[in-house]
Amino acid sequence: MGTRSFNFLFKESIYPMAVVDHQMRFLNHSKLWLKDLDIADPDIIGKSFYDVVPNVTQEIKEMHEFCLQHRTKLNKVQKIIQPDGRPQWLNWQIKGWNNKEHNQSGLLIVAEDITMEKKNEELLLNVQNVANIGGWEFDFITNKAYLSDTTKKIHELPLDYEMNLDKGLDFYKEGEHRRRITEVVNKAITNGTPWDIETIIITANGHERWVRSIGKCEIVNNKCIRIFGTFQDIDEKKKIEIHNKEISERLTMATTDAARIGIWEYDIPNETVSWDDNLYRIYGVGKNDFDQTIDAWEAIIHPEDKTRCHDEIVMAIAEDRKCTIEFRIKWPNDELRYIRSEFTISRYQDGKPTRMIGATWDITETKTTERKLKNLLEVTNGQNESLLNFAHIVSHNLRSHSSNLSMLTSFLNTEENEQEKKSLIKMLTDASISLNETVTHLSEVVHVKTNSVEKMKKIKLRQAVTDVEKNISALLKEKEAVCNIDIDDSLFIQAVPAYLDSIFLNLFTNSLKYCSPKRTPIINVAAKQNNNKVIITFSDNGQGIDLDKHGNKIFGMYKTFHRHKDSKGIGLFITKNQIEAMKGSIEVESIVDKGTTFKLMLRRNI
Amino acid sequence: MKKIKSTCIIDDDPIFVYGAKRIMKEMEFCDEILVFNNGQEAIDGLLNITARGEKLPSIIFLDLNMPVMDGWEFLEDFVKIPNHNKDNVVVYIISSSVDPRDVERVNEYKIVHNYILKPITHQDLRNVLVEVA
Repeated sequence: MGTRSFNFLFKESIYPMAVVDHQMRFLNHSKLWLKDLDIADPDIIGKSFYDVVPNVTQEIKEMHEFCLQHRTKLNKVQKIIQPDGRPQWLNWQIKGWNNKEHNQSGLLIVAEDITMEKKNEELLLNVQNVANIGGWEFDFITNKAYLSDTTKKIHELPLDYEMNLDKGLDFYKEGEHRRRITEVVNKAITNGTPWDIETIIITANGHERWVRSIGKCEIVNNKCIRIFGTFQDIDEKKKIEIHNKEISERLTMATTDAARIGIWEYDIPNETVSWDDNLYRIYGVGKNDFDQTIDAWEAIIHPEDKTRCHDEIVMAIAEDRKCTIEFRIKWPNDELRYIRSEFTISRYQDGKPTRMIGATWDITETKTTERKLKNLLEVTNGQNESLLNFAHIVSHNLRSHSSNLSMLTSFLNTEENEQEKKSLIKMLTDASISLNETVTHLSEVVHVKTNSVEKMKKIKLRQAVTDVEKNISALLKEKEAVCNIDIDDSLFIQAVPAYLDSIFLNLFTNSLKYCSPKRTPIINVAAKQNNNKVIITFSDNGQGIDLDKHGNKIFGMYKTFHRHKDSKGIGLFITKNQIEAMKGSIEVESIVDKGTTFKLMLRRNI
Repeated sequence: MKKIKSTCIIDDDPIFVYGAKRIMKEMEFCDEILVFNNGQEAIDGLLNITARGEKLPSIIFLDLNMPVMDGWEFLEDFVKIPNHNKDNVVVYIISSSVDPRDVERVNEYKIVHNYILKPITHQDLRNVLVEVA
């Protein structure tokens, strides 16, 4: 090759290189030399190396001298700072040369810019340090292991520790973890399968530590000659992960299996609702049947509860408080369920609500029990009251007769006057009749209490009232009373015939007994239907009762309010008991010297 | 033993009134016996007495269960009667009720001296005379 063409190739070399003489003056250089070393002067031939490249360290200068003297080869990476502050790594390769023919000597210098590689390396190192990732390899030919410093640190090993494959596997925790790593390594060696597993190692200092081990192998001639990979400390992350998993499992167990609580979230700006699986079960709605809008949720709520729920939610948003709502829903099988939901609202910094998070559960059973308990309490209270009434009858009314009887008999024992004796016997007779009456009343009351609903029949109301009217026609005639019955023939009620008879008889006789002597007695009986009930109004123009004074006692036992020889104070007590035994109710309105109106509510039979 | 001038019986039961009057006469309990059939009659009658400027009876035997106005209501109204010798009037409840609630309630009325259970006996009235004297 001629000198010219060699010169051309030298200029065009892919390396930044230069040739200097023994006095460090440039003899030749490639184009890249000027470019990579940022040399602005295009003509450096003959000029001194140190003038052209001023940043060279003392160490490099000494290397130059050494190579010149010994005609040997050295290389060194040097970091220099460019005038603009940019760091630059140069890989100096220096070789001394000697041309005996021309009695010349000098250096061949290559200054390879490895800044990019160095930067990447630095970056990688940083990444490894930050992420706690180390590298490793096992060479099966030499049976030697290489561990990066980070890998050793993760193992808590000294940096000069000598590792081999068996020792490496021994660091894995005995049992499941060591079994797994042995398995994946064996698989990699035999099949070439790479691995990526998370296991526990026991460090040199005996600490348990979660690591992620990634490995693969190099196969030459169907034989694995090397396995290598990375090793990452994931202890903190893994522990948090395990902890979270435990919490979420516990929560799921508690909400799903134990309490059956459904969790929901309402994204207020986007008006979307999301439910967990439990909530779908609680609402009895299929996953595809709910389009996750607030309207779809409101559609599930019982129509009567909808407005109230809506208002309560709006109020909760406005007042910024924790809120509880209760409402009813209807399952697809028409079963009514009671639902309770508690929720909180989170807000943006400006106070605008962003979302609501709530827990919902089915309280039907609680509600049912509550209602049963309430009914039971009512029944018990009622029974308790009648028990007290009986105690009162026994203690007062029966005793009043018996005390009279014993008093009269004691008088009779000593009385000698025949006339007086006769009058005492007359009084004894009266007292025993009264006693008999009281016992009869008592048995009537007990009867009402014990027999009731099963004896109820369909009764034509008008017929029942007119029958009673006929039975007392003599009395009506005697009092010259006017009776108006305004009841539609189509009205039927569900009642015990004997009770109904007794009730109207009592009301009629009461009206006549307490009629006003100042005017003709008028009795009006009317009835109208109201849903599944019939309301009967029974009014007269009699003396009336001062309800302010006696209102709470009018239906009580042995309460009378008028001076009348036939007042017993038992009639209305029994009437009320009979009506209540037929699941009805009775109310009274009255104005003294104007009249009294009783309002009876009884069950309608269609 | 000091003799009582006037006694009042308030009870709707004619047999009891007969018996009480008979025993009183037998033991010469008092000079005069007033009888009212219920609380309202008694209030009206007693008001009449004070209106005439006469003295109220010094002993009142009061039944509890009566029509129109019962014994309790009578007590409420009676304490409101303006008169010059109410402090000297002693009220005895005479009832056939052995209901403990009645006995307990009697204690709420300062004016009520004691509770006598029917039937009334000579001994009951002798005790009253001792207490009042």
